[in-house]
This record gives sequence, C-alpha cells and structure tokens, in this order.
Amino acid sequence: MSPARLAFLLLAAPLASAAFTACFLRRRGGAAAALSVGVAALILAGALWLGFSGVRFEAAREWLSLGGLIVSFGFKFDDLAALMLVIVALVGFCVHVFSLDYMSEDGAKGRYFAGLSIFMFSMMGIVLANNLFMMFIFWEFVGFSSWLLINHWHERPAPCAAAKKAFITNRVGDFGFLLGIIMCYWIRGTVNLTDLAVQSSSGFAIYSRAIPLLLFCGAIGKSAQLPLQVWLPDAMEGPTPVSALIHAATMVAAGIYMLCRIQMLMVPQALEVIAWVGTATALYAALCAVTQRDIKKVLAYSTLSQLGYMVAAFGLGSVEHRLDNGETILVAAGVGAAMFHLTTHAFFKALLFLGSGSVIHGCRHEQDIFRMGGLARRMSFTYVTFTFAVAAIVGLPFFAGFFSKEAILALAFSENRAIFAILAFTAALTAFYMLRLWRLVFLGKPRSASAEHAHESGFSMKAPLAVLAGLAVFGGMRRLYPSGFAGVLGWALEPEGSARAAVLSTSLVVLVGGAALALILYSSSAIGRAGATAADNYLRDPLESGFPRLFGALVTLRDSFDTAYEYYIEKIQQRLAMLLNFVDLLGIGGLVRSVAGMVGLAGLQARALHVGRLNVYVYWFLAGVAVLWAFAAGIL
Amino acid sequence: MITASLNAYIGLSAILFAIGFLGVLLRRNALVIFMGLELMLVAATLALVAFSRFNATMDGDVFVFFILTVAAAEVAVGLAIVVALFRRRGTIQVDELDSLKN
Amino acid sequence: MFNALFVFIAVFTVVCALGAMLSRNTVDAAMCLLLCLAGVAGLFVALHAFLLAFLLLLVYAGAVVTLFLFIIMLIDVRGAAVPPRRRIATAAGAAALVLVVAGLASLATRGRLSLPPPPPGLPVGESLKAYAELLFTTYLLPVQLIGFLLLIAMLGVIALSRKAP
Repeated sequence: MSPARLAFLLLAAPLASAAFTACFLRRRGGAAAALSVGVAALILAGALWLGFSGVRFEAAREWLSLGGLIVSFGFKFDDLAALMLVIVALVGFCVHVFSLDYMSEDGAKGRYFAGLSIFMFSMMGIVLANNLFMMFIFWEFVGFSSWLLINHWHERPAPCAAAKKAFITNRVGDFGFLLGIIMCYWIRGTVNLTDLAVQSSSGFAIYSRAIPLLLFCGAIGKSAQLPLQVWLPDAMEGPTPVSALIHAATMVAAGIYMLCRIQMLMVPQALEVIAWVGTATALYAALCAVTQRDIKKVLAYSTLSQLGYMVAAFGLGSVEHRLDNGETILVAAGVGAAMFHLTTHAFFKALLFLGSGSVIHGCRHEQDIFRMGGLARRMSFTYVTFTFAVAAIVGLPFFAGFFSKEAILALAFSENRAIFAILAFTAALTAFYMLRLWRLVFLGKPRSASAEHAHESGFSMKAPLAVLAGLAVFGGMRRLYPSGFAGVLGWALEPEGSARAAVLSTSLVVLVGGAALALILYSSSAIGRAGATAADNYLRDPLESGFPRLFGALVTLRDSFDTAYEYYIEKIQQRLAMLLNFVDLLGIGGLVRSVAGMVGLAGLQARALHVGRLNVYVYWFLAGVAVLWAFAAGIL
Repeated sequence: MITASLNAYIGLSAILFAIGFLGVLLRRNALVIFMGLELMLVAATLALVAFSRFNATMDGDVFVFFILTVAAAEVAVGLAIVVALFRRRGTIQVDELDSLKN
Repeated sequence: MFNALFVFIAVFTVVCALGAMLSRNTVDAAMCLLLCLAGVAGLFVALHAFLLAFLLLLVYAGAVVTLFLFIIMLIDVRGAAVPPRRRIATAAGAAALVLVVAGLASLATRGRLSLPPPPPGLPVGESLKAYAELLFTTYLLPVQLIGFLLLIAMLGVIALSRKAP
C-alpha cells in the first residue's frame, strides 16, 4: 500500500465509523465505542508508521474546476505534517480509551463516539491538507465537531449556549480567514502550499501585509487568542475527555499549525502583530486563571496562556544561526519553537485534563477545587501522573515543558526583550496558579464529603494517564525523537553562551518564586483563616479575603470581554437584526405577495369573459375573423 | 343564356354569407340563428360550384354533395339539441341560456 | 357580362335572405329561407349544375326547411316578449357590416378573378354519369365517411330526443 493510499485510509476510516454509528449504532453505545476505539487504534498505528518510517510525500487529485479556479484534494506530508499527525493520533487514542470508562454510564454514548470520530476525520484533514481551500473546509468541519461535542449534554441550557458561542466566535475568525484565502488567491494566483513556498523562495514581487494578517484571523478564532478567546472557558461545559482532546491538545493547536503552514507568506510587520497578540493573550489568560475555582476552567485559561506562548514564539520569527563551519543561515526558529511547545503542550495538557477528569469522576462530579483536597492518598495514581504534568507545565528542569519553554524564552531574549520580560512574568504566574491548583486538589485534608470518599479510577482511565505521563517526562528530549521530525524540531534552537545562562536563571527564578508564593498563600492555615460563607460550605479563596481589591480587579478583567460582547450583541446587533426582519417581512414579502396578487387579478379578469351567452362568443369570433383579415390584407 | 363573370358569382356568394353571419350575430332566437348557419353553408356551395364551372372541373360540384349531407346531419342534431334545451329551460332565446356563466 | 336574368335571380335571392334574417316571425323567416334556396337553385341552373340544383331543392328545401318548420311549430312560443337589443350587439353588428362592405369593395376594386368565359360545348356538370364516376372512384373515402357521419347523427338525434326518465 502506497503512503498516499494509507493516508487516505486514515482519513476515511473515522468518517466511515462516524457515518456507520450515526446510521445504525445510535442506541448501541457499547458497539459504537468499540468501533470508534478500534478506528482510533488503526489511526495510531498508521500515523506512527508514517511518521517514524521517514516516508514523506505529496499527492493530489483535482476535485473542483470552476473556470480558472481549481480546488484540489491532496496531501502534503512533510515533517511538519508527520509530527502533527503523530500528536493527533496519539492523544486521540488516549482520549478514546479514557472515554470508555468515563462515559460508560452516559445515555448517548453512540452520539459521543460518533462525534469523536468525526473530529478525528476533520483534524486529520487539516493536518494533511495541501492547499488552503481544503484546509478551510476541514477547518469548518472541526468547528462543527467541536459544537457537536460541547453540546453533548444538550438537555441543559448551559452547554447549548456554550456550543453556540464557540461556533459563532470561530465563525468570526473564519470570516477573516476566508478573506485571507481569497486575497491570497487573487494576488498570488494559487492557494497550494507547495506552490506558494516556491513562489516566495524565488522572490515574489507584491508585498502584502493583509494576507498573513487575515489568515491569522482564522488562528485567532480557532486558537482563542485575544479578542476571540471568550469561547474556550465556556467550552468546558462539554465532557472532560472532549476538553482534553479538542480544547487542549489538538483543535486549538490547529491555529498554530496553520500559521506554521503559511510561514512563507509572513512579512515582518505581520509577525510583529502576531507576536504581540500572542504575548497579550498569554498574560491576560494567566491573570484570569489566578482567580478561578473550577478545576476545568483553570486548565482552560492555562491552555489559553500556553497558546499565547506558541503564537508569540511564531511571531518572533526567524533568527540567524551560526553553523559549525562558520556560516550563518536563516532558520525559522519561531516555527520550530512553536511546534516544539505545541508537542510538549499536547502531552502535558491532555494529561492534566484527563487527570482532572479522573478526579472529577472520583469525586462524583465535583468541580470546585476548594471542595477537594487530600486526594493524594485516596487517588495516588492520578496524583503521581498529575504531578508530572504540573512539573512539565511550570518548566521544572528536565521535564518536557522545560525544554520547549526554554526554546521560546531564548528566542524572545534574542529578538525582543520586552516580550521576553512579559513572557517571563507569565511563567511566574503559570507556576503560581498551577501550584495553587495542585496544592488545593491533592494535598492537605479533604474539604468535603465527596473528596473524603473519592476512589481511584479503573484501568482504562489509568492507562492513558500512564502513557501521557511518560511522554510528559521524556517528551522534551529532542534526541529521542526520530530524525524524521528534524525538519521541524531541528529549527527550535538551543540558546548558547551568555544567553543560555540568562534564560536559565530567569526561568528558574520565576518558577521558584511563583511556586513558593502559591504554597504559602494556599497553606491549610491560610485556607482556614479565609473563612467560609455559611451557605453550602462555600470556602473563600484566601486571595480574595487577603487582597480583596486585587482579586476584584482580576475578576473584572476576566469578565470584561464577555460583558463587552454581550453589550454589543444586545444593544447593537439585535436591533439591527430586528430592523432587517421588518424590512424582509414588509419589503420582500410585500413584493412577492404583490406579484401573486397581480396574478390573481388577471385570473379574475379572465373569468369575466365567461359570459355563458352564445352571442358574445360569436362577437369574439367576429373579432378573430377581423384580425385574421387584417393580417391577410397586410394592415397588421 | 346567362353569362355572368366569376366576380359576380363570388360577390353574390359573399353577400349571402355576410347576411347569414349577421343573422347569427344579431338574432337571439336559436332557430333563426340556425337558419343563418344554413344560409352561410348555401353561400359556400354557390362559390364552390361557380369556381368549378369556371375552371372546367368537377371537383367543386362533387364537394357540394358532401356539404349538403353534412348540413342535413348538422341541422338534425342541432334541432334535437334545441328541442331538448327547450324542454329543460322553457326558452330558446340564447340570451337567457347562460347557465355556463362564470 | 351582366345578364338581366342573372340580376333578377340574384336580387331575388338577396332579398329573400334578408327577409329570412330580419323577420320577427319565425315561420316567415323559414318561408323566406325556402324562397332563397329556390333562388340559389336557379343560380345553379345558370351554372349548368343541374343535378345539384335538383338536389338542393330536394334535400335542403324539401327536408331541412321542412324539419325547421316542424320544430318551429313544436316549440316556438308566440307572443314571447323580445328584450331590447344590447349596445354591444349594435356595435358588433355595425362592425360586421363595415367588414362586409370593405370586403366587397376590395373584391370589386382589386378582385382579379377574370377568367376566360366558359367554353361552349357540353359543360361537365351536366352529366350524371360524370358525378357517379367521381364519387365512386376518387371520392370514395369521403362518401364512406359521410355515411358514417349520418349514422352517428341519427343515433345522436335518437339519444337526444328521448324523454327524460
């Protein structure tokens, strides 16, 4: 089987599984689950073979031909795609296995697993696409899968609203994306990625800032950057495995992947904008995470922050690199650092989410971290894996996140000191809120009945945690990656000399500082001193009681975007919609009805001719004869 | 004997046809309308015979046979209908036979 | 061209036709029709179509007009009030008259039907044998169809004139 055929099979299998489940296995949740997990295993095997065997190819077939525009359906399987495919397949398989136990009592299992299959299909389409149109099509598919899965418990109003919000916000970003694609086709004449690369390397004449910025709009929507980040925290209404797969590891990373794919279209001004947007998002999200009580929302804001890191890394662009033989070449260090961090982030974020899923499952669907505690002894396996993940995300040396963060900070240090400072401060905040989370959930004494009676999860939930924990520990060591990915990971440079010392010391300082602050502020005595409101054992956050004004400011910051958007929608957009509705009813409806009325009138008049009297018909006969005669005589 | 041009015969036929048609147009008694129809047919036969005579053929004459027969059949059936109508409606003024109105 | 006899017969025919169409009394109209048919028969004789003249008188005048008279006697109600003529009828009548006059005028001025006078000798229309020859060879199909038509007409009349049950 040729690699292109295999890739096509990997793409078609989950689609077939989803279709089959949707048609026949809706009620048979167990069979749907088995089918879906089997397909996920197949995809993992295929992806690992394709990625590690070093085979790289391009294949295409013409799909649609409209005049001069040709939309083709093809695969571009280079190192970047191989890396992303392996990540998606691996995390996807882990999530599938985890869902077997997590969703075992759910009533709509069939729909859930069909949704997971459709998501795998769409995501792999984005990874494998060789032109922007195809990528856009699968982009929309991914948005649809996300909507479907967030909306899984659609009997409640909150998930429905959250799913709508996610889809609409994505749509706003996709509008810019589509404009960018059209503009790219207009100016460049092609949307095929390979052709664009060839064009750029041989020096394309027209200089366009608009194309990369418009295409970045798609990434803003999909990867939840400022100002379209409002959907990601709400998307936590979906089941936890869905959050792990879609809203942590893969779908939100699609924006970053897309940026790396279109790197040949970038210009310095666009890159600067992108870098600042990413940095602002990272800082903002970290500030919001500090005040959260819901375990999944903390992780959601943490995802936002890390995505901001990746986007900022991409925006920092390429650096000059001195090779061993003394030459300097231009290396796309931004792409390398962003993809490296994407890889490690996929592993440890998925692990964090699945771990939190295990905790939620064990505590019987309790999600407030102030009602947990003391789970270290009761759920020890989850505790150990979760600790590895926390170590990775805060950048503890030799864990995965350390290396990728170091690459990003080194890049920032050499390119833009201001961004470096902000990212370092954000790293401190990351350490602060992650340690806070870890401390409140696992250490200390149980603070509620459900935490006291927590139990460890079953095998199918522990196995993925183990796999991902291993990756979180060893995923940062680039030498362990096969040479097949060198085309991408090799671009993430390690800092040298004095820069290395500076970056290393900075990252260690912020790590220790943030962690210490968290452990002090959230010790058991501090929590006890913070007190509680009488109703429902609602323990107060020590931060809230200790520094009320700071806490209040942070909460306002967090809600500001939502408030602004709601105001806009209610006051401006809704009124415009009502006006348009009125115009439609009266204007267009009126037009159609008046045409119908005229036809009716004509009918009434025709009816009046049926007099019923013979004479009248003879008069018509006479008229006809007269007309005929006029024709014959040449008068008419 | 009688020598008249073809134009004269045709003109006469036209006049008779017109009189018959005006009768159909303007009279309201169904029977008189029928008589107008017969008059029109007779005018047509006159024209046919005149043409066939002046072209020295027989075809027009033979056709008159058929016209005669058809006219007879038509009168029979038409008058049967008029009688049936009169039995139903009690009138033969076509003005009042307008139950197909609208 | 114009022969006194022809003119006489023509005028007679036209006057009787007018009488047929214009008389108030239906029986008068039928009688005028009869006389008109007699005039047309005379014109046929002038055209040397003797058989046809005879047939006209036999079939038309003898059978058709007699049938008319039967029906008139059967159903024409005397003294029925005649409603006044509507305006549309007057307009249509005027229009028809105009057309007729225009037609005749154009025939008179632009008519190019001048053919040479008919050859002397035996006019073809005089021979009964010639009729029979044509009817039973060239025009056999129409003869059969006419027979069929007569059958249908007979059946129709019988069906129509049954008393309603």
